[in-house]
Amino acid sequence: MQNILIIDDEPDVRDALKRVLDRAGYSVRTVESAVGAAAELERIPTDVVITDIIMPKIDGVQAIESIRKAFPSVRIIAISGGGNFGISAYQPAAITTTAYLASAEKAGAHLVMTKPFESIDLIQAVEKVLGVGHA
Amino acid sequence: MVRLRTSFASYVTLCVVALHLVLLPALFFGMGYVIRKSHETLFIEHARTFARVLAEEFEVGVALDSPTRTVDLLDLAIIHGDARYAELFDGGRSIRSSLGSPDIIIPRHTDLGFAQGGDDIYFIVLPIVHAGHSAELRLGFDEQPTQDRIHLALSRMLWLLAGYLAIAIIIAIILSYRLSRPIHRLGDVSRAIASGDYAQALDVSTGIRELHELASDLEGMRRELVGVNHRLQAKIKEKEISEVRREELQKQLQHRQRLETVGTLAGGIAHEINNVLVPIILFTDTALQELPPSSASRADLMRVLAAARRAKDVVRKILTFSRELDEAKVALIDLRGVVTEGLHLFSVLAPPSIEIRTEIDEQIPLVRADATLALHMVINLCTNAYQAMAGAEGVLTIGLRYQEAPDDGRISGPRVEFWVSDTGHGMDPVTVERIFEPFFTTRSVGQGTGLGLSVVHGIVESFGASIRVDSRIGAGTTFTISFPAIAEQYLIDDAAVPTA
Repeated sequence: MQNILIIDDEPDVRDALKRVLDRAGYSVRTVESAVGAAAELERIPTDVVITDIIMPKIDGVQAIESIRKAFPSVRIIAISGGGNFGISAYQPAAITTTAYLASAEKAGAHLVMTKPFESIDLIQAVEKVLGVGHA
Repeated sequence: MVRLRTSFASYVTLCVVALHLVLLPALFFGMGYVIRKSHETLFIEHARTFARVLAEEFEVGVALDSPTRTVDLLDLAIIHGDARYAELFDGGRSIRSSLGSPDIIIPRHTDLGFAQGGDDIYFIVLPIVHAGHSAELRLGFDEQPTQDRIHLALSRMLWLLAGYLAIAIIIAIILSYRLSRPIHRLGDVSRAIASGDYAQALDVSTGIRELHELASDLEGMRRELVGVNHRLQAKIKEKEISEVRREELQKQLQHRQRLETVGTLAGGIAHEINNVLVPIILFTDTALQELPPSSASRADLMRVLAAARRAKDVVRKILTFSRELDEAKVALIDLRGVVTEGLHLFSVLAPPSIEIRTEIDEQIPLVRADATLALHMVINLCTNAYQAMAGAEGVLTIGLRYQEAPDDGRISGPRVEFWVSDTGHGMDPVTVERIFEPFFTTRSVGQGTGLGLSVVHGIVESFGASIRVDSRIGAGTTFTISFPAIAEQYLIDDAAVPTA
């Protein structure tokens, strides 16, 4: 069973993602901040990390960079609600979508997607980064 | 004192007339005297000579011996000597020519001067000594013919002088009109210039040096006026144009700032709602999958899902509204054009106390960017730089160069660097750390939203470029933006992102 770690500051979002992926047959854990993510990844080998981009404390882009460095084999999906939020991640509204997705991809995310999305999109995204169907 | 003013022509004419009125009578009387004197002298000479010859004839001849001979000689004086009175007085006996005027009475004093005695007769009395006794020859010559000749000569001279005066006045009038023509021309053009018509040239042709010089000087002044006028008009026009441009630009910037504010707000709301929609959609979806097909709640959950999707669409629409710039036309562009345009727009806004310098390389590789956003970035950086120097003189340098060596930041490989440098107050490291935060500003309230540099940061990020700040307190600040110079800049397309 493949392990997935979800990083998101919103409990409802975390739980919803976990619920969908649990049902799809993955072993899912969640953390509320990128601060605890490294320890969690250290503790249990993980295949996929799904992380929010705009979060307090450490933003998703930084998290992706450090995860890519410390755990090169981990596949990363970056998700975000669009728009602007928070000081450190501020981008002018108009260019946000392009900008943050570009940042995330640049930092090493294998796939980026905007919130909200359907269950089927989430599952397909995970399958895609895991190479299912491409092998 | 009121001074009578008259035209130049009248003045010259009056002067000439006055001069002649003084000189001509003097000339007339002078010449009249000479004429009168010469005629008198001639007349007296003639009378005396004739009288002496006649007296000698009586003395040496035999005329006195016969009264008939005496009368003959006296008649001769009347007929050939222009005399009107001839008498020989001899010892109480008087013999008088009958040819003379009988009403003439010889005055007691004889040999009076010419035109004296009031009778128009010039008397001469000569003593005659003949054969031992003496007698007197008394002759009276007519002055009238000589007087007539004198009057004729004088009247001719008067006519001559009058003719001369008339010709002199005519010449004076013609001459004064000719002289006053260039003066009138100067006056006309001067008045035209005074009333704002600078078009007429002062091409006065005159032989008078002073007038010619005056005309040349005035023409020089006119040309200077024309030049000054043109320069002033050009300046006013330039000012009007730049005023219009400034207003347009300010309107544009205000509009953009409003859009940014609305965009920021809308983006924040969208983020929140999108986060909320994730659990709604996913939990409902999951619940639907787990419910038996016969469940009565399925229809309800389907409606929840449909409502959530509608909410998602609404959010998308809100974002689209604020997303004027999101349709960024990222393309390969030449930054030089953008920088030149930005500089042009900014120079309208910048106060004259700030000197703007440029250091732009002639050849710059293309970079991937949106021209409108890049322009926005240039203006924001320039505005920030001049605000850092506000209230003082300073130098703002804008540069564009190609760098082959990799920089220390995120861009490896050749890059195009755009930089804006000011000689303003500079920043301490703590401030530098925070300048890209939205609403962070060191300026007082009302001087800026504090969004400018965060906007620049966002734009730079969207181009996949990087921004660097070098600042020293008191020395100024330089913002450097590095664009990858290679065309294959990696950028994610929205279309590649999987969405519902």
